[in-house]
Amino acid sequence: MSVKVRFFARFRELLGTDIVTEPKAGTSLAALVSGIAQKNKEGYDAIFDEQGSFREFVILMRNGKRVETADAGKTIVADGDEIAVFPPVAGG
Amino acid sequence: MLSERELERYKRQILLFGEEGQERLKASHIFIAGAGGLGSPIAIYLAVAGVGAITIVDMDVVDQSNLNRQILHSDRDIGKKKTVSALEKLREYNADITINAIDTTITEENIRELVGRADGIVDAMDNYPIRYLLNRVALEKKVPFFHGAIRGFYGQATTILPGKTPCLECIFPKAPPKEVFPVVGATPGVIGTVQATEVIKYLTGQGSLLDSRLFIWDGLTSTSEEIAVCRNPSCPACGDQADADKTTGKKK
Repeated sequence: MSVKVRFFARFRELLGTDIVTEPKAGTSLAALVSGIAQKNKEGYDAIFDEQGSFREFVILMRNGKRVETADAGKTIVADGDEIAVFPPVAGG
Repeated sequence: MLSERELERYKRQILLFGEEGQERLKASHIFIAGAGGLGSPIAIYLAVAGVGAITIVDMDVVDQSNLNRQILHSDRDIGKKKTVSALEKLREYNADITINAIDTTITEENIRELVGRADGIVDAMDNYPIRYLLNRVALEKKVPFFHGAIRGFYGQATTILPGKTPCLECIFPKAPPKEVFPVVGATPGVIGTVQATEVIKYLTGQGSLLDSRLFIWDGLTSTSEEIAVCRNPSCPACGDQADADKTTGKKK
Protein backbone atom coordinates (compact mmCIF):
# COMPACT_ATOMS: atom_id res chain seq x y z
CA MET A 1 0.00 0.00 0.00
CA SER A 2 1.31 3.40 -0.96
CA VAL A 3 0.14 6.74 0.45
CA LYS A 4 1.47 10.16 -0.43
CA VAL A 5 1.66 12.91 2.18
CA ARG A 6 1.97 16.52 1.13
CA PHE A 7 2.88 19.24 3.57
CA PHE A 8 2.36 22.92 2.87
CA ALA A 9 3.89 26.23 3.93
CA ARG A 10 5.73 26.13 7.27
CA PHE A 11 5.11 22.39 7.60
CA ARG A 12 6.81 21.87 4.26
CA GLU A 13 9.89 23.81 5.34
CA LEU A 14 10.25 21.61 8.39
CA LEU A 15 9.25 18.22 7.02
CA GLY A 16 9.61 18.29 3.25
CA THR A 17 6.77 17.28 1.00
CA ASP A 18 5.42 14.65 -1.37
CA ILE A 19 6.47 11.93 1.02
CA VAL A 20 5.49 8.51 -0.25
CA THR A 21 5.01 5.97 2.52
CA GLU A 22 3.96 2.36 2.70
CA PRO A 23 1.85 2.12 5.82
CA LYS A 24 0.57 -1.16 7.23
CA ALA A 25 -3.07 -2.01 6.66
CA GLY A 26 -5.27 -0.36 9.25
CA THR A 27 -3.01 2.65 9.82
CA SER A 28 -4.97 5.75 10.79
CA LEU A 29 -4.48 9.13 9.23
CA ALA A 30 -3.34 10.51 12.59
CA ALA A 31 -0.74 7.73 13.06
CA LEU A 32 0.55 8.18 9.54
CA VAL A 33 1.10 11.93 9.83
CA SER A 34 2.49 11.61 13.34
CA GLY A 35 4.96 8.94 12.22
CA ILE A 36 6.31 11.13 9.43
CA ALA A 37 6.40 14.28 11.53
CA GLN A 38 8.50 12.60 14.22
CA LYS A 39 11.58 12.84 12.04
CA ASN A 40 11.84 16.52 12.95
CA LYS A 41 10.91 17.70 16.43
CA GLU A 42 10.17 21.24 15.35
CA GLY A 43 7.98 19.92 12.55
CA TYR A 44 6.16 17.59 14.93
CA ASP A 45 5.60 20.37 17.46
CA ALA A 46 4.25 22.65 14.75
CA ILE A 47 1.50 20.12 13.96
CA PHE A 48 0.86 18.32 17.26
CA ASP A 49 0.40 19.59 20.81
CA GLU A 50 1.93 18.20 24.02
CA GLN A 51 -0.77 15.52 24.23
CA GLY A 52 0.01 14.36 20.69
CA SER A 53 -3.25 15.74 19.30
CA PHE A 54 -3.39 17.81 16.15
CA ARG A 55 -3.18 21.52 16.89
CA GLU A 56 -6.62 23.03 16.43
CA PHE A 57 -5.77 25.14 13.38
CA VAL A 58 -4.22 22.31 11.32
CA ILE A 59 -6.11 21.50 8.11
CA LEU A 60 -6.14 17.88 6.93
CA MET A 61 -7.34 16.77 3.53
CA ARG A 62 -7.63 13.28 2.13
CA ASN A 63 -7.94 13.08 -1.65
CA GLY A 64 -9.09 16.69 -1.73
CA LYS A 65 -11.71 16.23 0.97
CA ARG A 66 -11.51 17.70 4.42
CA VAL A 67 -11.03 15.35 7.37
CA GLU A 68 -11.69 16.86 10.79
CA THR A 69 -8.55 16.45 12.87
CA ALA A 70 -10.72 14.99 15.66
CA ASP A 71 -11.65 12.14 13.27
CA ALA A 72 -8.11 11.49 12.03
CA GLY A 73 -7.50 8.77 14.63
CA LYS A 74 -10.35 6.66 13.29
CA THR A 75 -9.86 7.45 9.59
CA ILE A 76 -7.99 4.53 8.02
CA VAL A 77 -5.78 5.34 5.04
CA ALA A 78 -6.12 3.35 1.82
CA ASP A 79 -3.80 2.54 -1.08
CA GLY A 80 -3.34 5.50 -3.40
CA ASP A 81 -4.53 8.09 -0.88
CA GLU A 82 -3.09 11.55 -1.10
CA ILE A 83 -3.01 13.39 2.20
CA ALA A 84 -2.52 17.15 2.50
CA VAL A 85 -1.54 18.80 5.77
CA PHE A 86 -1.40 22.56 6.05
CA PRO A 87 -1.61 25.53 8.35
CA PRO A 88 -3.64 28.58 7.42
CA VAL A 89 -1.28 31.53 6.93
CA ALA A 90 -2.24 34.71 8.70
CA GLY A 91 -0.13 37.62 7.49
CA GLY A 92 -1.29 40.44 5.30
CA MET B 1 -21.10 57.19 -19.52
CA LEU B 2 -17.38 56.97 -19.97
CA SER B 3 -15.56 60.15 -20.94
CA GLU B 4 -13.16 60.35 -23.88
CA ARG B 5 -10.36 60.41 -21.37
CA GLU B 6 -11.62 57.27 -19.66
CA LEU B 7 -12.06 55.49 -22.98
CA GLU B 8 -8.43 56.24 -23.73
CA ARG B 9 -7.16 55.50 -20.26
CA TYR B 10 -8.82 52.08 -20.07
CA LYS B 11 -8.43 51.24 -23.76
CA ARG B 12 -6.37 48.12 -23.24
CA GLN B 13 -8.77 46.55 -20.75
CA ILE B 14 -11.88 47.62 -22.66
CA LEU B 15 -10.46 45.22 -25.23
CA LEU B 16 -11.06 42.52 -22.62
CA PHE B 17 -14.47 43.33 -21.19
CA GLY B 18 -15.88 46.11 -23.34
CA GLU B 19 -17.19 49.54 -22.39
CA GLU B 20 -19.96 47.78 -20.51
CA GLY B 21 -17.42 46.07 -18.24
CA GLN B 22 -15.64 49.36 -17.69
CA GLU B 23 -18.95 51.05 -16.82
CA ARG B 24 -19.55 48.32 -14.26
CA LEU B 25 -16.17 48.93 -12.66
CA LYS B 26 -16.91 52.66 -12.57
CA ALA B 27 -20.27 52.08 -10.88
CA SER B 28 -18.75 49.81 -8.21
CA HIS B 29 -17.64 50.40 -4.66
CA ILE B 30 -15.08 48.10 -3.06
CA PHE B 31 -14.10 47.99 0.59
CA ILE B 32 -10.46 47.11 1.38
CA ALA B 33 -9.67 46.20 4.98
CA GLY B 34 -6.02 47.18 5.46
CA ALA B 35 -3.43 49.35 3.69
CA GLY B 36 -0.42 47.13 4.33
CA GLY B 37 1.30 44.34 2.39
CA LEU B 38 -1.83 42.96 0.73
CA GLY B 39 -3.80 46.21 0.78
CA SER B 40 -1.12 48.03 -1.23
CA PRO B 41 -1.22 46.00 -4.47
CA ILE B 42 -4.96 45.41 -4.13
CA ALA B 43 -5.73 49.14 -3.82
CA ILE B 44 -3.27 50.17 -6.55
CA TYR B 45 -4.58 47.67 -9.10
CA LEU B 46 -8.23 48.37 -8.34
CA ALA B 47 -7.57 52.12 -8.58
CA VAL B 48 -5.80 51.91 -11.93
CA ALA B 49 -8.49 49.54 -13.23
CA GLY B 50 -11.04 52.30 -12.60
CA VAL B 51 -13.12 50.86 -9.77
CA GLY B 52 -15.31 53.94 -9.18
CA ALA B 53 -15.15 54.05 -5.39
CA ILE B 54 -12.65 52.50 -3.04
CA THR B 55 -12.87 52.61 0.73
CA ILE B 56 -9.64 51.64 2.44
CA VAL B 57 -9.34 51.36 6.20
CA ASP B 58 -6.23 51.19 8.36
CA MET B 59 -5.35 52.40 11.84
CA ASP B 60 -1.58 52.26 11.59
CA VAL B 61 1.28 54.67 11.03
CA VAL B 62 3.93 53.99 8.36
CA ASP B 63 7.02 52.44 9.93
CA GLN B 64 10.39 51.89 8.28
CA SER B 65 10.01 48.13 8.72
CA ASN B 66 6.84 48.22 6.56
CA LEU B 67 8.65 49.40 3.46
CA ASN B 68 9.92 46.02 2.25
CA ARG B 69 6.38 45.13 1.23
CA GLN B 70 3.84 47.92 1.68
CA ILE B 71 4.30 49.59 -1.67
CA LEU B 72 1.66 52.26 -1.12
CA HIS B 73 4.15 53.83 1.28
CA SER B 74 7.73 55.01 0.88
CA ASP B 75 10.51 56.65 2.89
CA ARG B 76 8.94 60.09 2.86
CA ASP B 77 5.79 58.65 4.47
CA ILE B 78 7.43 57.29 7.62
CA GLY B 79 5.45 58.57 10.60
CA LYS B 80 2.38 59.45 8.50
CA LYS B 81 -0.92 57.72 8.92
CA LYS B 82 -1.17 54.91 6.38
CA THR B 83 -4.51 56.28 5.26
CA VAL B 84 -2.95 59.69 4.47
CA SER B 85 -0.15 58.07 2.52
CA ALA B 86 -2.55 55.68 0.75
CA LEU B 87 -4.89 58.50 -0.25
CA GLU B 88 -2.01 60.50 -1.75
CA LYS B 89 -0.67 57.57 -3.76
CA LEU B 90 -4.03 56.35 -4.99
CA ARG B 91 -4.98 59.87 -6.10
CA GLU B 92 -1.73 60.07 -8.02
CA TYR B 93 -2.51 56.76 -9.67
CA ASN B 94 -6.05 57.71 -10.63
CA ALA B 95 -7.67 61.06 -9.93
CA ASP B 96 -10.90 60.03 -11.67
CA ILE B 97 -12.11 57.72 -8.92
CA THR B 98 -13.40 58.33 -5.39
CA ILE B 99 -11.17 57.17 -2.56
CA ASN B 100 -12.30 57.10 1.04
CA ALA B 101 -9.33 56.45 3.30
CA ILE B 102 -10.53 55.94 6.85
CA ASP B 103 -8.16 55.99 9.80
CA THR B 104 -9.76 53.71 12.34
CA THR B 105 -9.56 50.29 13.97
CA ILE B 106 -12.12 47.87 12.56
CA THR B 107 -14.40 46.64 15.33
CA GLU B 108 -17.61 44.68 15.75
CA GLU B 109 -19.31 48.03 16.44
CA ASN B 110 -18.18 50.03 13.40
CA ILE B 111 -17.64 47.46 10.65
CA ARG B 112 -21.17 47.41 9.20
CA GLU B 113 -21.21 51.16 8.82
CA LEU B 114 -17.68 51.24 7.40
CA VAL B 115 -18.57 48.70 4.72
CA GLY B 116 -21.83 50.51 4.01
CA ARG B 117 -23.22 49.52 0.64
CA ALA B 118 -19.93 48.36 -0.86
CA ASP B 119 -20.21 45.70 -3.57
CA GLY B 120 -17.48 43.56 -2.07
CA ILE B 121 -15.09 43.27 0.85
CA VAL B 122 -11.40 42.58 0.29
CA ASP B 123 -9.37 40.98 3.05
CA ALA B 124 -6.01 42.69 3.49
CA MET B 125 -5.79 42.02 7.21
CA ASP B 126 -3.01 40.35 9.16
CA ASN B 127 -5.11 38.54 11.75
CA TYR B 128 -7.98 36.07 11.90
CA PRO B 129 -10.25 37.72 14.49
CA ILE B 130 -10.88 40.67 12.12
CA ARG B 131 -11.04 38.33 9.11
CA TYR B 132 -13.81 36.36 10.84
CA LEU B 133 -15.64 39.63 11.48
CA LEU B 134 -15.31 40.70 7.83
CA ASN B 135 -16.50 37.24 6.77
CA ARG B 136 -19.63 37.53 8.92
CA VAL B 137 -20.43 41.02 7.65
CA ALA B 138 -20.02 39.83 4.05
CA LEU B 139 -22.45 36.97 4.81
CA GLU B 140 -24.94 39.39 6.40
CA LYS B 141 -24.74 41.86 3.55
CA LYS B 142 -24.60 39.09 0.94
CA VAL B 143 -21.57 40.56 -0.79
CA PRO B 144 -18.46 38.63 -1.82
CA PHE B 145 -15.47 38.39 0.47
CA PHE B 146 -12.11 38.16 -1.25
CA HIS B 147 -9.77 36.40 1.18
CA GLY B 148 -6.00 36.49 1.02
CA ALA B 149 -3.22 35.79 3.54
CA ILE B 150 0.53 35.36 3.37
CA ARG B 151 3.58 34.27 5.34
CA GLY B 152 7.15 34.19 4.13
CA PHE B 153 7.08 32.93 0.56
CA TYR B 154 3.64 31.34 0.98
CA GLY B 155 0.17 32.63 0.37
CA GLN B 156 -3.43 31.59 0.01
CA ALA B 157 -6.53 33.13 -1.54
CA THR B 158 -10.17 32.25 -2.08
CA THR B 159 -13.35 34.05 -3.05
CA ILE B 160 -16.32 33.63 -0.76
CA LEU B 161 -19.78 34.06 -2.26
CA PRO B 162 -22.41 34.08 0.51
CA GLY B 163 -24.95 31.28 0.16
CA LYS B 164 -22.90 29.63 -2.58
CA THR B 165 -19.42 28.80 -1.38
CA PRO B 166 -17.94 27.81 1.96
CA CYS B 167 -17.24 30.84 4.13
CA LEU B 168 -13.93 31.61 5.85
CA GLU B 169 -15.02 29.86 9.05
CA CYS B 170 -15.96 26.71 7.10
CA ILE B 171 -12.46 26.62 5.61
CA PHE B 172 -10.47 27.81 8.63
CA PRO B 173 -12.52 27.25 11.78
CA LYS B 174 -9.55 27.99 14.04
CA ALA B 175 -7.03 30.78 13.74
CA PRO B 176 -3.31 29.96 13.72
CA PRO B 177 -1.34 31.44 16.62
CA LYS B 178 -0.31 35.09 16.44
CA GLU B 179 3.28 35.83 15.48
CA VAL B 180 5.51 38.43 13.88
CA PHE B 181 5.40 36.78 10.49
CA PRO B 182 8.37 36.80 8.12
CA VAL B 183 7.61 38.10 4.64
CA VAL B 184 9.22 39.23 1.42
CA GLY B 185 7.20 41.91 -0.38
CA ALA B 186 6.76 39.94 -3.58
CA THR B 187 4.55 37.42 -1.74
CA PRO B 188 1.73 39.86 -0.88
CA GLY B 189 2.37 41.13 -4.41
CA VAL B 190 1.37 37.72 -5.79
CA ILE B 191 -1.59 37.17 -3.49
CA GLY B 192 -2.82 40.79 -3.55
CA THR B 193 -2.90 40.78 -7.34
CA VAL B 194 -4.77 37.46 -7.30
CA GLN B 195 -7.36 39.11 -5.03
CA ALA B 196 -7.54 42.23 -7.24
CA THR B 197 -8.00 39.99 -10.29
CA GLU B 198 -10.86 38.21 -8.54
CA VAL B 199 -12.55 41.55 -7.76
CA ILE B 200 -12.22 42.74 -11.36
CA LYS B 201 -13.56 39.42 -12.69
CA TYR B 202 -16.46 39.49 -10.27
CA LEU B 203 -17.40 43.06 -11.13
CA THR B 204 -17.12 42.59 -14.89
CA GLY B 205 -18.51 39.05 -14.98
CA GLN B 206 -15.40 37.56 -16.58
CA GLY B 207 -13.97 34.07 -16.23
CA SER B 208 -14.48 31.80 -13.25
CA LEU B 209 -13.82 32.85 -9.69
CA LEU B 210 -11.83 31.09 -6.96
CA ASP B 211 -15.15 29.94 -5.53
CA SER B 212 -15.03 26.84 -3.32
CA ARG B 213 -11.36 26.64 -4.23
CA LEU B 214 -8.43 27.57 -2.05
CA PHE B 215 -5.49 28.81 -4.11
CA ILE B 216 -2.15 28.05 -2.48
CA TRP B 217 1.05 29.69 -3.62
CA ASP B 218 4.49 28.36 -2.72
CA GLY B 219 6.98 30.99 -3.84
CA LEU B 220 9.97 28.91 -2.70
CA THR B 221 9.31 26.30 -5.37
CA SER B 222 7.25 28.58 -7.63
CA THR B 223 4.34 26.19 -7.58
CA SER B 224 0.68 26.82 -7.02
CA GLU B 225 -2.09 24.44 -6.28
CA GLU B 226 -5.70 24.52 -5.41
CA ILE B 227 -7.68 22.60 -2.88
CA ALA B 228 -11.41 22.07 -3.23
CA VAL B 229 -13.15 23.35 -0.11
CA CYS B 230 -16.67 22.50 1.06
CA ARG B 231 -19.32 24.17 3.17
CA ASN B 232 -19.58 22.99 6.74
CA PRO B 233 -23.29 22.46 7.48
CA SER B 234 -22.65 23.15 11.16
CA CYS B 235 -20.49 26.24 10.53
CA PRO B 236 -21.21 28.80 13.25
CA ALA B 237 -21.07 31.63 10.71
CA CYS B 238 -22.94 30.29 7.67
CA GLY B 239 -24.30 26.84 8.60
CA ASP B 240 -27.95 25.90 8.94
CA GLN B 241 -27.96 26.66 12.63
CA ALA B 242 -26.42 30.10 12.03
CA ASP B 243 -29.50 31.06 9.99
CA ALA B 244 -31.83 29.68 12.64
CA ASP B 245 -30.01 31.65 15.32
CA LYS B 246 -30.36 34.77 13.23
CA THR B 247 -34.11 34.45 12.71
CA THR B 248 -34.77 33.77 16.37
CA GLY B 249 -32.48 36.62 17.34
CA LYS B 250 -30.38 34.30 19.49
CA LYS B 251 -27.03 35.77 20.32
CA LYS B 252 -24.18 33.77 18.89
